[in-house]
Amino acid sequence: MTATGAMVTEIAMAGLATTTHTVRMGNVITDGEIVVSGLTKHYKQVKAVDGLSFAIKPGRVTGFLGPNGAGKTTTLRMILNLVSPTAGTATIGGSRYADLAEPLRAVGAVLEASSAHKGRTGRNHLRVICAAAGLPASRADEAMELVGLTPAAKRKFKGYSLGMRQRLGIAAAMLGDPRVLILDEPANGLDPEGIRWMRDLLQKLAGEGRTILVSSHLLSEMELLADDVVIIAAGRLVAQGAVADVIGNAGSAGTVRVRTPHPDTLLEALAGVASSRDDGALVLTGVTAEQVGDAALRAGVAIHGLVTERPDLERVFLDLTAGKEAIR
Amino acid sequence: MRLVRSEFLKIRTTNVWWLFALGAVGLLVVAFAINALNMHFGVLQPPVEAGQNMDPEQAAVLSALAEPVALTSYMVTSGQYFGLMFVMLLGIITVTNEFHHQTATTTFLATPHRTSVIVAKAVAGGVFGIVLWLVTTAVTVPATAIFLDAEGITPALGDGEVIRAVLLNGLAYALWALIGIGIGVLIRSQIGATITAMVVYTVGTAAVSIIVNVLTAWLNWEWLANVQWAMPSLASSLMTSGTSLPGQPDYWVGALVLVGWAVVTGLVGTLLTRSRDVS
Repeated sequence: MTATGAMVTEIAMAGLATTTHTVRMGNVITDGEIVVSGLTKHYKQVKAVDGLSFAIKPGRVTGFLGPNGAGKTTTLRMILNLVSPTAGTATIGGSRYADLAEPLRAVGAVLEASSAHKGRTGRNHLRVICAAAGLPASRADEAMELVGLTPAAKRKFKGYSLGMRQRLGIAAAMLGDPRVLILDEPANGLDPEGIRWMRDLLQKLAGEGRTILVSSHLLSEMELLADDVVIIAAGRLVAQGAVADVIGNAGSAGTVRVRTPHPDTLLEALAGVASSRDDGALVLTGVTAEQVGDAALRAGVAIHGLVTERPDLERVFLDLTAGKEAIR
Repeated sequence: MRLVRSEFLKIRTTNVWWLFALGAVGLLVVAFAINALNMHFGVLQPPVEAGQNMDPEQAAVLSALAEPVALTSYMVTSGQYFGLMFVMLLGIITVTNEFHHQTATTTFLATPHRTSVIVAKAVAGGVFGIVLWLVTTAVTVPATAIFLDAEGITPALGDGEVIRAVLLNGLAYALWALIGIGIGVLIRSQIGATITAMVVYTVGTAAVSIIVNVLTAWLNWEWLANVQWAMPSLASSLMTSGTSLPGQPDYWVGALVLVGWAVVTGLVGTLLTRSRDVS
């Protein structure tokens, strides 16, 4: 945990450094860093979010992870000025959301899939937003095209499938061509093809230098999608950093699983390596597969199977959030 | 300004507006016919036996109503009762739709300044009300002229008090949108808000009127009768009555009461919207 703590401070300091040379003109953001500091939301009974601080860097996809009820949605809504924090601040490019001159041109958000009037067509839904944001109505058609909804543009929202609704939400978020994109559980309701489409889109958008913050509880999907992760549980920060670092820092080091007819001979050749036996295989800690292979060759022992096992995000996530009750 | 455009687009891109307009105009025809029959048989040519057992107060009201100015104002503002109700319902729906269809998030993301959103809704709803008033008046003016002509009375359409009544009627149509918006913020459930508002508007108005009249007669407190004008619907009809009828306050009392209601509901709605978490 100390390692994680140090990493958080480091990123917070980096955030401080960038804001000093960020050029701001009337709260139009030129840098899409999201900085959350001491963010807290108390409801009557529950501390939904409790002194949360983190920073999200531009040009990367950041996964925002936590068990159900960890405070992910409340945090995102506080960043977007939809829920007022009990304490703390959240800024995007140095400005609070409410102070942004043209919020939709700075930030796009996808918060819930079923958010359009049932009797309105998808295109008209986008046009209403364009009108409110002072964007030309033609942006509605462009955004429809971007998410592949053009054939359904004139259909009413109630006829949309869950996947189409999710795409419409992403289209709405992209209307203002924002530098920052915030998505709450965007994979919900998407089929495998849709999930792949979204992953490619988000990675492309991050590649263009945008800030992408995606909340999810689908860990395997996050491992494929995210560059960085922020993990929270019970309203508090648990870990933050690059995916590989978070996995590496979690303490559960990699293991090598080897199958051989002569385990004892192999262990002698690998003197001093910690080992355990599992289902007829040797599980070795603190060695690489190459070292095990070389040792086997020297000892003249046959190898029937040799597998490197790295802990994945899911393992780390469960370790980190264990004991933090989801339902409070 | 662009927020108002957005709110107009919201109204225009669903079916509600023309259904409401159709309902209001349909009921306008019914209301005008009822008013015409009422005036014909109740005021202009009352059955002979009715005049004999009528108390002098009531007779005074009737003869005041028979004056061309009062008669013209009364007829030309026909349809107000249902028209105002539809404007109020539209106001309610512009707000409750945002919660019912969960579009409040989208709306407040585009405009974090929530007061502007309420103002834009009030302007859009008010304009809808004024358009409905224009259509209504375009129907009632010629209809009133024809009806009064047939009764052998010269319609006083050019009279200052009639014109005032017609213009104040327009104000009522605009203000009721704001009242509806306030109700919509208070009761976020679409069904809850519309049903509550309609029951209070129809049954509530009649109930207050009856209760106040019964209490007045029973306790013999004349001043109590004036309490009923605090109801926004009765205040609206008071302010468009043209000449003052015996036993009624002046028209401007109605106007003040209605403006008061609109300001209070609008303010409460705005303050609630500003402080509420959207989730």
